[in-house]
Amino acid sequence: MMDLSQGQWVKHAVTHPFEGFEDMRWKKSGSMKIAALIILLLFFAQIANGRLYGFQFRVSYDKTFSIVPYLVKSVVLFAVWVIGNWSVCTLLDGEGTIKNICIYSAYALVPYIAQLYINVLLSHVLIMDEYVFMQVIQFIGVGWTAILLFSAIKSVHQYSFGKTVFAVLLTVVAMLIMLFLLVLFMSLIQQVYIFISTIYTEIFYRIRV
Amino acid sequence: MKKSIRKLLPLILSGVLLGGTAASLIASAGEPYDVYNYDRWGEAIPSQAGYIADRTVSGYDLGIGPMDSPSDIFCDHNRIFYIADTKNNRVIALDSELDRVVEIYDEFRLPDGSVTTLDQPEGIFVSAENDCIYIADSNNERVLVCNYDSEVVMEIVRPDSELFSAPTFRPKRVVADKAGNVYVVLDNITTGAAMFGPEGEFTGFYGANRVQPTSEIISNYIRNIFSSEEKKASRPRNVPTGITSFDIYGDFIFTCTASSTQTTDTVKKLNAAGKNIFANLELAFGDYTPIYDASQNKLFSPAICDIDIADDGNINCLDLTTGRVFQYDEDCNLLFITGTIAKQVGGFNQVSALESLDNCLYVLDSQKNTVTVFVETSFGEVVHEAAELYNAGYYEEALEPWYEVLRRDGNYRRAYIGVASALLRKGDYKGSMKYAKLADAPLIYDKAFEGWRREFLKEHFTEIAAITAVLAAVLIYIGKRKKKKPAGISAADMENTEKKEE
Repeated sequence: MMDLSQGQWVKHAVTHPFEGFEDMRWKKSGSMKIAALIILLLFFAQIANGRLYGFQFRVSYDKTFSIVPYLVKSVVLFAVWVIGNWSVCTLLDGEGTIKNICIYSAYALVPYIAQLYINVLLSHVLIMDEYVFMQVIQFIGVGWTAILLFSAIKSVHQYSFGKTVFAVLLTVVAMLIMLFLLVLFMSLIQQVYIFISTIYTEIFYRIRV
Repeated sequence: MKKSIRKLLPLILSGVLLGGTAASLIASAGEPYDVYNYDRWGEAIPSQAGYIADRTVSGYDLGIGPMDSPSDIFCDHNRIFYIADTKNNRVIALDSELDRVVEIYDEFRLPDGSVTTLDQPEGIFVSAENDCIYIADSNNERVLVCNYDSEVVMEIVRPDSELFSAPTFRPKRVVADKAGNVYVVLDNITTGAAMFGPEGEFTGFYGANRVQPTSEIISNYIRNIFSSEEKKASRPRNVPTGITSFDIYGDFIFTCTASSTQTTDTVKKLNAAGKNIFANLELAFGDYTPIYDASQNKLFSPAICDIDIADDGNINCLDLTTGRVFQYDEDCNLLFITGTIAKQVGGFNQVSALESLDNCLYVLDSQKNTVTVFVETSFGEVVHEAAELYNAGYYEEALEPWYEVLRRDGNYRRAYIGVASALLRKGDYKGSMKYAKLADAPLIYDKAFEGWRREFLKEHFTEIAAITAVLAAVLIYIGKRKKKKPAGISAADMENTEKKEE
């Protein structure tokens, strides 16, 4: 029973919100490669969402292109989620390893990513009056992913319902703290860089004179 | 000469040219500045000049001695220009070519036969209804209403009313409407323009500005909730900046406010009830990016010190900070930017007033003591023609002029909008989509796309139906084969549900 290939496991987990991840855990299945592929797809989906949208819905500023916001919206956010969840749930008697959290969370993102791609395609076919169809798809995609993500956390750590809610809330707080520290660290690095470059310039001038 | 231009250019244009655009600048001949316009993103881009400086007229040219700090210029219905020559205590009337003095008004006969003179007149207006000259006689604290023969018809002085609490009455600008009501902009009054009836009786204030909700005002408001009456009384009150100048056009009065701090209500279009029609539109007048002056370590934001509505409805705003005239069409779309701070013809020291007649702009400089005449270029003519047709709803008639505009200036965004709208009206959806995309106008693009999609579906209905039928058949076949060895929901089924939602 349940002799599925890795690809079939993705389908199984996504289409069975309540016991899909439990089955996966029971079978010790799930592939890091597929998780990485999903995150890569998320990254491309965010770029498509920002840049390739139908012109009638969104005018994108196309004089410059910066990849950083798209990286932040996909890879960085996901990494912060995984690390935040791992650090919180280690303290809360969670059974998930960081690898499993990563795999399960990535699998849970599939409906969201599918929704992004579908809407980018639809935005070239529909007009503004029919935007409601895209909103429905978006709502379904986001809602489905939310349920899956909840179920993924619940089964990877073997939590009860209430404890999962608590853990998710704490994870969000942890994510905020991490992002705050990240910004702080960046500005600190910048300060140090300016300091060093000023000293360098100063010494450089002295040597020349 | 050339060196001085080179030295000046970076100063003038520091706030104008954003990175990367400088390379493609083509300065039009004779301008002491580079002509620019704004694109959809509010970034300055090079453009063609709509007006060029033709000449300047000073008091010497007219043979009446130099003007001294002139502060207002007005052109009446007989095409006579009136200039309030403030420090010389006189009003000069010139013909429409600005080369002959028609009359100099400096002494007036009161009804009782005595003679009165002006003391620093700052505003001038001539009513077409009753052929009266209205002079804001600032230091005498009165508005003088007289006829062309210097006979005073009426004097408006500080009203003896409870409503009027200010101790002074220093009129700066004056206009009169068709019914003979007189509106006076007063110095140090923030409650709007004082309004007087046809007989000179005070009837109230008109068109006050709103207070801009800055963070300081909001925090003061929150603090006032908790503080005592005494503390509240000692705090500075939140009052808006007073009106600087206005102009009347048809039934509407346009006001402008020169304030370096306030950005709301800098330009207003007031109806007879004093309601601002521009109030809820997200409009910005003047330069978008404030100019930084390193020598004073200050940011200079636009200060619209005079406004003039041309006969075709275009709104001309005069910016004191940059010495520029911003011309908008009646829907407040930016058409042209003209002028600068410079020594040459076409540049100013300190602008004070603005007037328009036919296709010319007249800008008064209170330090150079001159009137600068700007004439419309051929490019300006085409744009004005196109914009006028477009705003009147003649989209298809405006198509040719808009194409002409694009041939001359491929950066002119309004032209792309005009072409897209015209092509949409004509039913050329593909072309309309192309131009709407170039104009960054998603609403027009949406309509054009709807039309294009409808035509596409009509034309290719057989192919689409055939492909759909084949696809459906294939999907059903795959589904049947999958059912023999079940494994949850198949990919084909998922695609099916998506198709339905589509």
